[in-house]
Amino acid sequence: MAHFNSRRDFLSVGSLGFLGLTLSEYLQAAATTSTYKGKANAVILFWLEGGPSHIDTWDPKPNSNFKPISTNVAGIQVSELLPKIAKKMDKLALVRSMHTRGNDHPQATHYVITGHEINPAMQFPSVGSIITKELGPRNAVPAYVLAPKWDKGRQYEDYFRAAFLGGDYDPMCIPDPSRPNFQVTDLSLPKSVSQASVESRSAFLNVVDRHYRALNDTADHANVDAFTAQAWKMILTPAVRDAFDLSKESDKTKERYGKDPIGQSALLARRLVEAGSRFVTAAGYHSASWDTHSDNDKIHKDRLTPPLDRTLTALIDDLDERGLLDTTLVIAMGEFGRTPVINPNLGRDHWPNCWSMALSGGGVKTGQVIGASDDKGYNVADRVVSMGDLYATIYKALGIDWRKEYMSPIGRPIKIANSLDDRTGEPIAELLG
Amino acid sequence: MRTIGILLIFMTAGWSAPQVVFLKTIPAQATLQYAGASQQFVAIANYADGTERDVTGEVEWRLSNPSLVKLIGPARVAAAKDGPLTITAVLAGGARAQSSLRIQGSQTERPFSFTRDIGGILTKRGCNQAACHGGVKGRGGLKLSANALYPKDDYEWITKGGTYQVLTAEVKGERIPRVDVKNPEESLLLNKPTMVKPHGGGKRLEKDSDDYKVILAWIKNGAPYGAEDDGKAPKLTRFDVTPSLAAVPVDGQRRLLVTAIFSDGHSEDFTNQVLYSSSNGDVATVSADGIIKGKGLGETAIVVRGAGQVASAGVGVIGPPIANYPDVPRSNFIDEPVFAKLKKFHIIPSPVADDATFLRRVCLDLTGTIPPPERVRQFVASKDVRKREKVVDALIASPEFVDYWTFRFSDIFRVSIFANGLTPKWSQKYWEWIRSNIETNRPYDEVARERISAEGYGAASRHFLPYNQVGPPNDVMAEEVRVFFGRRLDCAQCHNHPYENWSQDQFWGMAAFFSRVFKTGPVVFDHPTNMDLSSADVDGKIQLLHPRTKAPVLPALLDGSRANLTPESNPRKELARWMTSHPYFAEAAVNRIWGQFFGRGIVDPVDDFRSTNPATHPELLAALASDFREHGYDLRRLMKTIVMSRTYQLSDVPNATNKDDLVNYSHALPRPLDAEVLLDAMVDATGIPEVFATAVTDGSAVGQAPKGTRAINLKDPDMYFSRFLELYGRPNRGAIPERSVHPNLGQALHMLAGSTYADRLGAKDSRLARLLESGASDAKIFEEFYLAALGRFPEPDEIQSLEQTLVKRGDRETGLREFVWALTSSREFAENH
Repeated sequence: MAHFNSRRDFLSVGSLGFLGLTLSEYLQAAATTSTYKGKANAVILFWLEGGPSHIDTWDPKPNSNFKPISTNVAGIQVSELLPKIAKKMDKLALVRSMHTRGNDHPQATHYVITGHEINPAMQFPSVGSIITKELGPRNAVPAYVLAPKWDKGRQYEDYFRAAFLGGDYDPMCIPDPSRPNFQVTDLSLPKSVSQASVESRSAFLNVVDRHYRALNDTADHANVDAFTAQAWKMILTPAVRDAFDLSKESDKTKERYGKDPIGQSALLARRLVEAGSRFVTAAGYHSASWDTHSDNDKIHKDRLTPPLDRTLTALIDDLDERGLLDTTLVIAMGEFGRTPVINPNLGRDHWPNCWSMALSGGGVKTGQVIGASDDKGYNVADRVVSMGDLYATIYKALGIDWRKEYMSPIGRPIKIANSLDDRTGEPIAELLG
Repeated sequence: MRTIGILLIFMTAGWSAPQVVFLKTIPAQATLQYAGASQQFVAIANYADGTERDVTGEVEWRLSNPSLVKLIGPARVAAAKDGPLTITAVLAGGARAQSSLRIQGSQTERPFSFTRDIGGILTKRGCNQAACHGGVKGRGGLKLSANALYPKDDYEWITKGGTYQVLTAEVKGERIPRVDVKNPEESLLLNKPTMVKPHGGGKRLEKDSDDYKVILAWIKNGAPYGAEDDGKAPKLTRFDVTPSLAAVPVDGQRRLLVTAIFSDGHSEDFTNQVLYSSSNGDVATVSADGIIKGKGLGETAIVVRGAGQVASAGVGVIGPPIANYPDVPRSNFIDEPVFAKLKKFHIIPSPVADDATFLRRVCLDLTGTIPPPERVRQFVASKDVRKREKVVDALIASPEFVDYWTFRFSDIFRVSIFANGLTPKWSQKYWEWIRSNIETNRPYDEVARERISAEGYGAASRHFLPYNQVGPPNDVMAEEVRVFFGRRLDCAQCHNHPYENWSQDQFWGMAAFFSRVFKTGPVVFDHPTNMDLSSADVDGKIQLLHPRTKAPVLPALLDGSRANLTPESNPRKELARWMTSHPYFAEAAVNRIWGQFFGRGIVDPVDDFRSTNPATHPELLAALASDFREHGYDLRRLMKTIVMSRTYQLSDVPNATNKDDLVNYSHALPRPLDAEVLLDAMVDATGIPEVFATAVTDGSAVGQAPKGTRAINLKDPDMYFSRFLELYGRPNRGAIPERSVHPNLGQALHMLAGSTYADRLGAKDSRLARLLESGASDAKIFEEFYLAALGRFPEPDEIQSLEQTLVKRGDRETGLREFVWALTSSREFAENH
């Protein structure tokens, strides 16, 4: 059920009446006949910012300047730029028929992260916020984390937020974990604050707010207390601080993931999921965007695919070794693919019409390809997969009812798995048992 | 008529029977035209304690000429024979009242009208509710218009059948008519709602009911469309619901009367021909024949739906009457409707706020700035009886006023690099335009006209270049309507609005005013229709196609008229002229400004006017709107009028009668400060300015705003990163911002461990550091900080407790820093009250 602005609760709840539904009817309509036993309980989104060229990575074609290579699954080939991934194909599922909207980065990112096109009248909750809300937090660890946050282009960060679901489901945005002085602000008390300090602060606060709160005890005040208690718990619980502490990882592990923003973000994501986070976006590719409008081949080969190849396989192996792979859904995707035809700058431009993404873990049946593109990678030839279908698959893997709708504050129902043409997405049956 | 038992009067809330001052019957007069016409009567008693009660079921009803009518329900009569008669109600105790009734044409059948007769039944029986066949896609293959708003469409779907599709005008599937004129009793329209055939909506109609008989007779008659086809029959134009605002105690009852007004001026009783629903069943319920019952204290609306019409009545469920209700003084025209309603609802407003509370509140509401300690001291000490008005004038004339309202309008008008063409220079120009409008107090209608029709390279035209592209006309129009009319047409884009009377045709007619907006380079213009359209910057023919019918749409105003467009005219100029002289414009503007001062609009949300979201104080809204219009849409004048009202100046301290009131302005309600205002208040209270950097990269900034820049003066939210502002809900202006500051975990963490607080507490040259250096005493420091942060003097018991805590702490300087932390983390600091 949607999270209502508490000041408007009084009217908002009542305003369902005009739809001819009582509140209980509405809740019943939105509630699940939940018999889904999804295995996964967390998601790592390996965010390939900028949009990888699908024909040069997951879906090799003759018009790519790279050759296809065989993988350890018969019948599946990937680009030669992904040798390690090729040996890990049994643990990956590829979708080669993604068909989405948004020709430009903001529009496409918004679309891929929320399932809806940008609309000035409405803000949509992101898939991360929805999953955080549906699954709830674990172990006092921040449930939804964006690692790292953007330095520029901050509106992308907004797409990852919770919109009308409320600030509880906004991501915690942290800096680049590969930096030497990496520290998560707000999770570590300043050195000046000792235990005595904590008590003294509380004592002063009680005096200061005494009169005011006696007169004006609103729902917000109760919430402030609840959040403050929760915040203290997070700050003072070693397990939470440790989850963000990469120094607890061996150098060997760090090497394995790669000592760069891409590798360390993925490593941090694994730590967080291990500690209890629900949805972590490993977004190290902020600093090395896949957006190769020029020199596509060179940049893909030299800069972009090696980290993907190395880090994705390291992540899968690491999760597997720790017994977390079955319960952690790993999603590797960007916001679109790239044009199958090379442009005058030897680059490839945006292509949302037909592109590829990869999944691993989370109970997904791996070692297979879903859908197919045409001979050059322009159009979907078989099995269009919309964002709604992908979301529906993800939700089902997590045990969430993908047919749910949230009620936005203006009374418009919002599907959580929004497919093309105002339909609800369908989970990809082949991927889930 | 028999008198029903008078037990009701003793059952309600333990009242003893007060004295009846007078009795009245409603309506005072009525005419029943045609066979079967009926009228419901209501008797209302007014009592010495100021209350009124529905005593319809308690009075004895007497008819002067009983042969003229048939009694068909409690206090409800139907026409039998022509002639005049009087109806008298007599209450035990002697009070009496009288209404006159005229019966005419009682032997003539009323001409059949599909809208009224069949559409009315479909509405009353709930068939066309949004959850059922009136939903966006219809249900079970049958699509009806909500509230029978489009009877011709309904007629098509019923008589021809077929499945409605949202995105195209094509009919899907096999066409099975819902009426069978050869075998009327086999019609689906009858069999389904009576459950002879399975019906997802359950039993909606009984076979022996009048409605069933009407439908059956209609089908037997060949299912004609009826009277409205020839355009001569009078049309139903609106419903009047009486009372428009009812006040009942818990368990009290009140009967509604619904009168339909027709285009030829005549009116008819529709009380039993409409569907009633309550917007909040916890506050009040309503029966199928329109009797409201109070359930729990509060306020809600009863929505009435009938043949193509929607109306609503407000209901307050109120506490017991108040003996010796005080005389509340009025300061200006705002106060009368507010206090009259409070009196009706048995709520006593709180007294006027004390000087310190008033000063902090009005400083925040007019300038977004908390008053410095010296100002508080001065104001509280001053004996000038006109000091409040003088301070209001001074604030309105201050530079901070311009800063603050530029900030507010930058929100509503969306100043941001991405929204204004991806160029900082352009968003700067746009911001400057907004700022100069505030500075010169430019009439708001002029501002609106310039914005709606902005073209060329001008500052306001930058609004039409989100991401340096012209937005689609549907999005652009919907935003202008929302910003300037306070109406959200958006839902009508893809289908008729599910519950308001906005049609998809109206939506696209309005969108067509924006369909010729183009850009060439940085210039925005409207392509004239009479020019060759195959130019390099235009992609093919400029045509706006209706998404369902695929036909080209011509610009049409909401009322359907075409506006005086020539091939060369900028259609948006005509639209702008029409919009700013339309009544919606002034009422939306005053409502928005009102919302800034009270935390809630008279219609709330402030840009969501709809029939199912009525104003809490319709006369107040109308009075403010006409005052605004009559005085040249002067924003400063409007704001001064608001803050000089007694209503605005009431204390936030509630009393027993008003503590649960959230919508009637009986006392001031605390409102959390918005992110920028809160951050600026932190800066002012602690004396340490905030550094706003562009693209924070581990603290090493690429660029910085000049030292001392205030948060409300940051033009582009997307240029300056601030953790604090993000946590406290600074919006991305990519959509119309809806700020909502509620506590969340991030804020709590930041307060405990974040830099905004931590860095300030121990800083050199802070307010605390300077006070310590000057050798100020503890009491002095406490007082300075209370004044600086909370705008008031500390109470003696507070000073005492603070001193005790400080002494216990031991380390004076550290303790005082913790005191400052507590002050700036308190709710009193973070809220405007």
